[in-house]
Amino acid sequence: MINILRTFLKEGIQAKDIEPNKENIKIYKNIPMCFSKSLYIRHVDCGSCNACEYELSALTNPIYDIERFGIKFVASPKHADAFTISGSITRNMKTPLLDALQNVSNPIIIAIGDCAIDGGIFRGAYGIIGGLRDLNIEPHIWIKGCPPKPEDIIGGILMANGVLR
Amino acid sequence: MIEFEDKERFHFLGMFASDRRYYNEDFVIRYVFLDKKEHNLKINTINTNNEFKSIQNPLANLYEREIYEMFGLSPVGLDDLRPLRLFPENYPKDFHPLRKDTKLDIEYRGYGDYEFENFEPEGSFKILVGPIHAGIIEPGHFRFTLLGEPILKLEIRHSWKHKGIEKFAEEKSVNFAKILSENISGDHTIAHTLAFVRAVENACNINISLKAKYIRAIFLELERLMCNLNDFAFIFQDVGYSFGAQKVFVLKEKLMRLNYDISGHRFNKGVITLGGVSKDLSLEDIKRIKEFLGFLEKEYFKYKSLFLNSPTILERTDTTGEINYETAMRYYALGYTAKASGVFADTRVLLDEDVCKNMLSYHVLQKGDVTTRVLARFNDIEESIKVIKTLLDNIEEGEIIKSQKLVPNSMGFGVVESQRGNIVHMVELDQDANIYRWKIRDPSFHNWPLIQFAVLKDIIADFPLVNKSLNLSYAGNDL
Ligand code: SF4
Repeated sequence: MINILRTFLKEGIQAKDIEPNKENIKIYKNIPMCFSKSLYIRHVDCGSCNACEYELSALTNPIYDIERFGIKFVASPKHADAFTISGSITRNMKTPLLDALQNVSNPIIIAIGDCAIDGGIFRGAYGIIGGLRDLNIEPHIWIKGCPPKPEDIIGGILMANGVLR
Repeated sequence: MIEFEDKERFHFLGMFASDRRYYNEDFVIRYVFLDKKEHNLKINTINTNNEFKSIQNPLANLYEREIYEMFGLSPVGLDDLRPLRLFPENYPKDFHPLRKDTKLDIEYRGYGDYEFENFEPEGSFKILVGPIHAGIIEPGHFRFTLLGEPILKLEIRHSWKHKGIEKFAEEKSVNFAKILSENISGDHTIAHTLAFVRAVENACNINISLKAKYIRAIFLELERLMCNLNDFAFIFQDVGYSFGAQKVFVLKEKLMRLNYDISGHRFNKGVITLGGVSKDLSLEDIKRIKEFLGFLEKEYFKYKSLFLNSPTILERTDTTGEINYETAMRYYALGYTAKASGVFADTRVLLDEDVCKNMLSYHVLQKGDVTTRVLARFNDIEESIKVIKTLLDNIEEGEIIKSQKLVPNSMGFGVVESQRGNIVHMVELDQDANIYRWKIRDPSFHNWPLIQFAVLKDIIADFPLVNKSLNLSYAGNDL
């Protein structure tokens, strides 16, 4: 145990600077300034292939360490300011999604991945109703990619709330 | 069916139905077994027009419910015909999407509510969880019945993510379906694509070069390594040991970056193609992979011994989430879940398709609790490292992709041992060599019911741990 702690100290902080690829980030509306150092996010998967979840859960690892920017994933929509939404929206997930969104007034919507906007490659399958556009929900940010890279997700949020230019 | 009697020899892999009326035939249902003695697939076929006999096995019953719902064929003798995927809240009655004559441009309106099982012993109460969960995970609904602290019963309702991939692929080209197959279960991109591609190659008698086989095997093992490291980290996290968790997450992240450097994609999407692979491994790539494996071995053993020598962790994981041998057998468990409960169904060893057959051991454990499933993963991690090293040392020059010709009106199966267990795809091509029927079977379909047994007598606080120790795919189950 002591040895491991020692190696930790030697390694130091592993977090890297965030250098997103701006082509993959589309900002429709800015996030209000008051969230620039504190943004609580609730994630809702509406029918993804789970690669988007894989990358989202990577955000909290020491290399990306999203919490150093004051961004935190929370357990309930009632604690959240923002939603990340991934996947093409299935018929079965439509009601749970709308229920979750109801818990936050004026939620900030972050669409994760190619599917989330219009269903992506699955558009046209009988089980999906499409994406956020088909529900007339306009996202603040859309992070493109299949799945988007973690840098781009963090970068997108930071660009929309003015921390990163 | 006689094969269901001899469970030691025949491991049931699934029921694959198809509407063959277009060919002036009936509906066909194929029962697929892994014959552990002859080392091949045993396929029994029945034809039917409206009904078929139900099998006395809880897992087969799930497949029967699926066939009833998708094709409208009735399993005679099965009472529980509740829908698995088409929720009564959202889909019309008598809507059977995989029948060729079903219209899809209808008004989608529900006809009622899903019936949960009626189980309310005196003094018990229920805790309902989901579909949206607290963590960053996929949606699913869990109903616990508790009596005091221990869990008496768990009922799972899945398919919140049902997209209808199988139907969507019909009449589309094989190339389009290949792209779909990359997005069935994202963390198993390589395995699912490989299973699909193998099914098409079997149908059309396409042989691939030895070099392509090697490269496919290397990428498959890299994916297994990635998933196993991720699971290992999450187990640390769920026992409240985030210190170990974060260190292992870093290992996984480094592996994903290696993927990106080699193939240009963090999950290696696009590497597997029909007739071979699209990515050759240069000397530089081989060097990189070897360097990474050297680094990984050094680090991984540190955290393995940290796990095994920490009483606070083992206290949580020992005897938690037990699945005994009989249950694993009855539900034909797959992958590490099966191995941890004494059942072996690894098709890399039991079939002849993979080049790593002789590098693997027949490894089974007995206790079937969370610790044992972690131990089974440790073995997988160590074997993956060994296999990749051997393959890299023996890789030879050669072409990586061969030209392929699709054969119309053909049918084939593709089996791949993924990290969670074996994946089976069945592909039928029509007269234009487009997809006629595509059935996807993810290992999660076999292993999900086991969680209902694993949690019994545990407390609800242990559920996340048990769930993570099986770590099943929702997307692959819901399709
Ligand atoms: S965008 Fe791509 S990775 Fe994300 S859910 Fe859709 S298919 Fe999966």
